[in-house]
Amino acid sequence: MPELLRMTVDGLPLSAFVDPGRTLLRVLRDDLGRTGTKEGCDDSECGACMVLVDGQPVNSCSYLALQAAGREITTVEGLAGADGLHPLQRAFLEGGGIQCGFCTPGMLISALALLQADPDPSEEFIRDGLAGNLCRCTGYQPIIQAVLHAAAEMRAGDGVPATGSSGGG
Amino acid sequence: MQARPIRIADLVSPRIAAAHILDQDDEEAEAPVTENDQQPPADLPAPTPPWIRADGQAKATGQARYTADLAFPGLAHARLLLAGRAHARIVSLDTTRARSLPGVLAILTQDDVPEHRYGSFGYVLDRTLFARDVVRFEGEVVAAVAALTPEQAAAGVAAIEVEYEDLPPILDVEAALRPGSPLVHPAIDTYGHDPNLEPAGNLAGRSTIVKGDAAAAIAAAPIVVRERYVADMAHPVPIEPHAVTADWSGDRVTVFSSTQVPFAARSRTAEVLEIPEHRVRVVVSHLGGGFGGKCDFHFEGHVAALARAARRPVRLVLTRHEEFIAPDKVTHGMVVDVETGLDADGTILARKARILLDCGAYASDTPVLGQIAAMMIAGPYRIPAVDIEALSIYTNRTPSGSVRAPTGPQACWAVEQHHDVLAARVGLDPVAFRRLNLVHDGDEGPTRQRHEGDGAHQTLEAAVDRIQQGEPLGPGESIGIAAGWWFSAPGPSGAFVRIESDGSGRIVTGAQENGTGAVMALPILAAEELGMRPEDFAITYQDTDTGPYDGGSSGSQTTFNNGRAVIEAAREVKRQLLELAAVALEANVADLELRDGHAGVVGSPDRRVSIAELATTAHGGALLLARGSGMPPDAPEHDASACVGRLGFESFAAPTFFCHAVRIRLDPATGIVRTTKVITATDVGRVLNAPGALGQMTGGVVMALGNATLEGTVFGADGLQRNASLLDYKLLTTADAPEIEAIFIENPASNGGPRGSKGVGEPPIVPTAAAIANAITAATGVRVRRLPMTPERVWRAITTGDDGAAEANAPFGPSETALAELAGAGTGRR
Repeated sequence: MPELLRMTVDGLPLSAFVDPGRTLLRVLRDDLGRTGTKEGCDDSECGACMVLVDGQPVNSCSYLALQAAGREITTVEGLAGADGLHPLQRAFLEGGGIQCGFCTPGMLISALALLQADPDPSEEFIRDGLAGNLCRCTGYQPIIQAVLHAAAEMRAGDGVPATGSSGGG
Repeated sequence: MQARPIRIADLVSPRIAAAHILDQDDEEAEAPVTENDQQPPADLPAPTPPWIRADGQAKATGQARYTADLAFPGLAHARLLLAGRAHARIVSLDTTRARSLPGVLAILTQDDVPEHRYGSFGYVLDRTLFARDVVRFEGEVVAAVAALTPEQAAAGVAAIEVEYEDLPPILDVEAALRPGSPLVHPAIDTYGHDPNLEPAGNLAGRSTIVKGDAAAAIAAAPIVVRERYVADMAHPVPIEPHAVTADWSGDRVTVFSSTQVPFAARSRTAEVLEIPEHRVRVVVSHLGGGFGGKCDFHFEGHVAALARAARRPVRLVLTRHEEFIAPDKVTHGMVVDVETGLDADGTILARKARILLDCGAYASDTPVLGQIAAMMIAGPYRIPAVDIEALSIYTNRTPSGSVRAPTGPQACWAVEQHHDVLAARVGLDPVAFRRLNLVHDGDEGPTRQRHEGDGAHQTLEAAVDRIQQGEPLGPGESIGIAAGWWFSAPGPSGAFVRIESDGSGRIVTGAQENGTGAVMALPILAAEELGMRPEDFAITYQDTDTGPYDGGSSGSQTTFNNGRAVIEAAREVKRQLLELAAVALEANVADLELRDGHAGVVGSPDRRVSIAELATTAHGGALLLARGSGMPPDAPEHDASACVGRLGFESFAAPTFFCHAVRIRLDPATGIVRTTKVITATDVGRVLNAPGALGQMTGGVVMALGNATLEGTVFGADGLQRNASLLDYKLLTTADAPEIEAIFIENPASNGGPRGSKGVGEPPIVPTAAAIANAITAATGVRVRRLPMTPERVWRAITTGDDGAAEANAPFGPSETALAELAGAGTGRR
């Protein structure tokens, strides 16, 4: 029997009737039209479906939608604020961190999560924090450097602070 | 000496990778620029400004819609029934029960579509849309279901009743060649095929590269070395799985497909449905990577037929498991027997080789890739006598095909190890051996094409010089190098350029953007011609109804071919603009130029008119609109009269030369190889877009590292893939990515692409595994002749001396018991 699910997605209260076996990814993409979050493997291996649930990164392909009841979900679509792109998005764009772009939504969310855990991360910390996100295009280096770059910009205070579940900005 | 360094530190952020460009008269590599070099030397040009790809913002914000994201009212969902067995006869196929299930709208089998055999490029017409009587690999499509929900489609597939009679799978390429072997295609003699091929038995195609009398030269050579190298099948693994949605309107169908080759997909869809091409429109939304795996025609025909039967739009999205087994584009399993005759001083006298390519159940484009493999085994070396044969052999595996630089990485891995073995045999170091034998400007290639430039040597010297500048080697550390070449792919391609009424520009092209940025960079070329900025142009692309023909994002050809078309169209628009400007400025066309968005009189800064004003005038009369479709540059002159199986690669057009140097750390107790640094030195003819070229280098190298040490398909004796998931088939992650430095050498090609450029997307994946293999030998003294060079295989070579190549006579892939080690070990995730 479907149950009523209420949650906040990128700052917006949303609801849907959801079968208990349905994943958060399916609900976001198919029921709520939030297709920014991607499905690459349905196996928690590629990270393309990464979202924040109350600030914690999860693979939404392997997270039951009803577990998200009452929680705040942040997807890639919530990153940019009214005043423009999040520093991570800008750094990815300017630093060659985006080629085909299919891994980008999950990669950005994992990057956001690791910067919330450590605003001044070492390269090693970034490498570990992004190790659950596969990218086949860039060779990772541009992405790692973009995260370092964005972190520095955010610490300098001339960027939008990472605000987590309510989205950037 | 004029160096043209590209300051990556300025383009992006520091230390992503250092890259620099050398002009052809440079003698050695400049030190790469690092974050510490804040100011460019005064005598050098200003840094290239950052290049932001036009599709980047949509991709960064989640707005970019990929095929599976597209919404349609009344959308139905497709699921394929795949064989699930390598080789079997279909005794009965009953869809009655499945058709009665709730939500099921349509079910198709081969009985429901035209009985039409097709094949890539018409090489061998060995395939039907759905299996007819026999399944020949585990991912073969037996039936397709459309239903209201994905769950109902899956239930429909599960309810289809198929009775199979299993047949022994044909998995050993050598045994498949022997007389009396069971056949993958018993009716092969009745199949249509390319006139240059003679498919017979289990042989789909045979190509040779022959020059001189190699057998006699080897018989007379003072030193002869013969070796065998074996590579396993691997996968392209785009992060976006294949997706197709078909939507009919009357007798026309629009197919939204994650294809790299929209025009080929359109042709084949029309062919299998037996309708005219103009009634099929193929549109690519954003494409989530391809790496060759989305070349060719895959599921567009199935979904279009399903949508017609279901009378509503139908979407198919492959699961990751299906993505591993069903699309007929995997990296070839390969056996290379190579024999080289040397003079006592190390000069190569002759080479014979036989390459066995496992093409899987259907020929796909493997026959031409065999010809490419033969050219790769010859390599950019001075070899007076060559006799190389490539055989494309049917087995009951997922069909192979044009994955990024198809056959290149495996062939280079084999032959560049062979070269290190030859060097050691005559007491030369690997660099000296290559200095002695690599081609120089004017030397002749394996089919007597004349090489242009000294790119082979310049890239060798640049890579070697740079890797030697690193810290002294520590325990377990070593260095390896590998050189090679790859072709550019001249072909027909078209584009329109137009100026809108406000003076902004638009490029309309049939080219496909697979992620590399090649299409996104086309405005750079148009802007240069028209005195505008790249950001002044919008791009309409990857839609067969709007853009002129293009061959797709295969063969590193987008910039090479479509770039020429865009330049030609832009030059015609320039002519149109200057004619209007000549009237407006009362000047001669010959005295005018386009600069900074204006047409003006050369040398008279005040006499000018903006392109925007001219555009306003234009729409009152003549249109500012032009097409471009430059004739492809000629292939180099060559002599292939002694070669058979000639399918177009008898010479390598505008070849890219390269050398990679790697630094590794090897743990002999576990066999784990960790690559810590990779230098790529590449003669790309001309760098047109430095960030784009660099992105190909870093991405290609990391993909190559995966192919080198981790990625290989494991098969059971039943012919089924045992690691067809990302849980068991590991890719490199951020934790493994090494430091990469890219060096670009510029020797513009006379028969090249725009500004003498050459292909850049495929070369970076070719020599890395070979360089790592040579580094493994440098560290251990043993050779691993089996790809991928997994920890188990490296460890076994160290502890037992078994180089792995003897496994060639068994089915490809290690024993199933090795699976756990393969999945758990390696340089995988921490």
